Amino acid sequence: MTPLDLLVAAGQQVIDGVFLGLFYAIVASGLALIFGVMDIINFAHGDLIMISAYFTWLLSMTLNLDPLFSMLLTLPILFLIGLGIQKGLINPVLGKEPLIQIAVTVGLGFVLQNIALGYFKAEPKGYPAPLFSGGFSLGPFVIYESKLVSAVVSLVVLILLSRFLAKTKLGLAMRAVTDDRASAMLMGINVGRVYLLTFAIGMVLIGVAAGLWMEMGQVTPYLGTSFSLVSWVAVALAGLGSIQGLIISAIIIGVAQSLGSLISPSIQMAVVYLIFFFILWFKPRGLFARR
Amino acid sequence: MSGARVILRVDGVSKRFGGVVALDNVSLEAEEGGIYGLIGPNGSGKTTLFNCITGVYKPDKGRVFFDGRDITGLQPHVIARLGVARTWQKVRPFRNIKVIDAVIAGGLLKTSSISEARKIAEETLELVGVAREEWGKLGSEISLMEHKLVDLARAIATKPRLLLLDEIAAGLRPHEQEKLAEVIRRVWRERGLTIIVVEHVMKFVMSLSRKIFVLHEGRLIAEGTPEEIASNPKVIEAYLGIKPA
Amino acid sequence: MFNREILIALAIFEALVLGLGFALSGNNYLMLLAAQVLLFAVFVAAWNIIGGLTGQLDLASSAYMALGGITTSLLWMKLNVPPLLGVFAGGAVAMGLAVLIGLPTFRFGVKEVWYALMTASLVVILNNLFRYTMGPWDFYLPSKWGLIYLRPRTYFELFLIIDVVLVIVILVNVYISNSKIGYYLRSIREDELASESIGIDTRSYKLRALAIYSFITGAAGFLQIVIYSSFSYRLFDTSQAISIAIMGIIGGLGSISGSIASAVIFRTLGEYLRSSLGGVFPGLDLLLYGIMLIIVGVLKPEGLAGLFNQIRRWLGK
Repeated sequence: MTPLDLLVAAGQQVIDGVFLGLFYAIVASGLALIFGVMDIINFAHGDLIMISAYFTWLLSMTLNLDPLFSMLLTLPILFLIGLGIQKGLINPVLGKEPLIQIAVTVGLGFVLQNIALGYFKAEPKGYPAPLFSGGFSLGPFVIYESKLVSAVVSLVVLILLSRFLAKTKLGLAMRAVTDDRASAMLMGINVGRVYLLTFAIGMVLIGVAAGLWMEMGQVTPYLGTSFSLVSWVAVALAGLGSIQGLIISAIIIGVAQSLGSLISPSIQMAVVYLIFFFILWFKPRGLFARR
Repeated sequence: MSGARVILRVDGVSKRFGGVVALDNVSLEAEEGGIYGLIGPNGSGKTTLFNCITGVYKPDKGRVFFDGRDITGLQPHVIARLGVARTWQKVRPFRNIKVIDAVIAGGLLKTSSISEARKIAEETLELVGVAREEWGKLGSEISLMEHKLVDLARAIATKPRLLLLDEIAAGLRPHEQEKLAEVIRRVWRERGLTIIVVEHVMKFVMSLSRKIFVLHEGRLIAEGTPEEIASNPKVIEAYLGIKPA
Repeated sequence: MFNREILIALAIFEALVLGLGFALSGNNYLMLLAAQVLLFAVFVAAWNIIGGLTGQLDLASSAYMALGGITTSLLWMKLNVPPLLGVFAGGAVAMGLAVLIGLPTFRFGVKEVWYALMTASLVVILNNLFRYTMGPWDFYLPSKWGLIYLRPRTYFELFLIIDVVLVIVILVNVYISNSKIGYYLRSIREDELASESIGIDTRSYKLRALAIYSFITGAAGFLQIVIYSSFSYRLFDTSQAISIAIMGIIGGLGSISGSIASAVIFRTLGEYLRSSLGGVFPGLDLLLYGIMLIIVGVLKPEGLAGLFNQIRRWLGK
């Protein structure tokens, strides 16, 4: 390989990495929102995306509808499921020791993973002919439509989310609870209701991530573990309270993973987790924390 | 007490968090064998000062000397080994271990033998007046008052020379506070320790201490006997709304 | 230290284990399952030291197991070091890595969720690195048998070897639990700052707990490879690491009897489900672990040990 080839290859990985990073931003957004507002340690986050991805796939296959559109049908249902999970599982462990929260959500993750394994089996499932499956070239680089679309949709949803947090009454309440729970209560915010809706909105973000994933790839019962870890790495890198920070952090992760795959695809995740280690050691509050 | 040697000297300690000045050039001295009060409204920096003395925080400026030795910025467990013990404002520092085991952990500072530490623990629990039938209970099964006593016992079991009590009376009913003050006086008499009590319950401190320091917005604004403090206009102003009883 | 009550309990447990061993010794399949269940209990008992006693939710058990096991295997295959000695090297390598990571981790106060995530990602990092270096293949152990290789000719003997290891790990747990380090570790689990203030060097004690746990796990790792008779990068398995932590939690944090009981009961139940319904519903065993974990977390955080205590009190009345 000539130096120029290497440069082109690296450039291609950076482009793919930015797209991947924007997708990771939507993957992590639900976790960041729930962790920030409710202080709930959710280890089942990735598994919720995984099970939602199966849900999207099932709808797509039954209705013969592209995942991007069947996703729109899953979102309201996931909102309701979010209300249910919050009431049934999360509420009882709110404010409990971290270990108990981790235990319950690890348990939930295990349950979801193995329901998926039992019902859908281990073979990867994907939508055979997604709307965006081609690619086009841009100079020496190739742009894959599905990755581009998912990056754009992620960005749009995240901008909507940040508008929502900045402009609506509920959004402001959620931010107030993130910044200072005790004062928020004193200000007369109904924290219980904020929690309930936060989890439900978090589920909607999870549904978007799941739908975009089905546009790009395939789902297996084990998809959740890596999504969980990546989301937590993004939150660790970003700190809490800034969507911009989350997007930038997710892009850093995406690009690092993508460049790591230049060395070997089998170590790309190792690169991401090594970054995680150094962040936890040297910058435990993240790069963009407001709190 | 005059002429006794100085066991704790805080020398110009400052600490800020972000833009907020929590402590501003605070200096004070405590003599060996004394019993002192440190008062001030909420947020005046009392707990921050304790945290600077016990190594939880490193002061931005100033030094802390214990028994003539500079202990500024040492790790908390090193400071504890030198003979500074404390209790915590936090209500329940342990839930899932037994009362006796919690105090034994304190006793293990000066010995490695469990049976010796157990003896220390039993003596200490008796000294602070925790009934024997409570010893086998878990931290989550005892009352708040008992918890305060056990936390105190655990600190004393490390055989300290200086004992710092951080809002130990908070959340207790008046008659419990009286009992606790009695216990602290007994500990002080029998063990010959130096004790500093942080409190915003004025009555509690006034009845206990020989000398009182007053913090307000991170600065030491007064020191003196309880009578002097009670009539000090600066203190009354700082406590406006909180009547010295 | 080892009081009568504990020795009697251990004797009863051993009588049951050995009785079961003799009863099953005719059936190779069941014997191997029983050996696997016991070995799982070994890993859970080792985890109890860092997770149960010290309260650090370590999710890297399978990493230390695999690292130690693979080290022992490679020493045997490449350098002819008999595994009976090699397991100590395996334990030491696992411990070395754990301490190397533990030093900055505890120095910079990484705890709770971050500690759990960090250890979980350690499993993935090693999984990736080993897949990169050794490829996707299974490596089979040499066809040599004998005690010196910790690879006996019958599964019954393997069962006995693992049982000896289990007894050792239980005794280590009891010893730690009843000595100064045990009191300190439990104090750290409850509250680190309060522990510092009674003179406990929390970093150093957490590191000691991590070292003991990773050494045992790494040394016992070879026995897992003996059961599979091969190894691959797939030994670095997050589900396995999480399962081990789950058993420690279901059993009741810090309770060695509870941990062992949950490991034995649920792994046996899990193996049964897997063998009877695995074809129809793979993962049913892990599903069961998950449900148990949710129930314990929401309803009974003290775990099986809490249940045992309740029964004990109830019987006492």
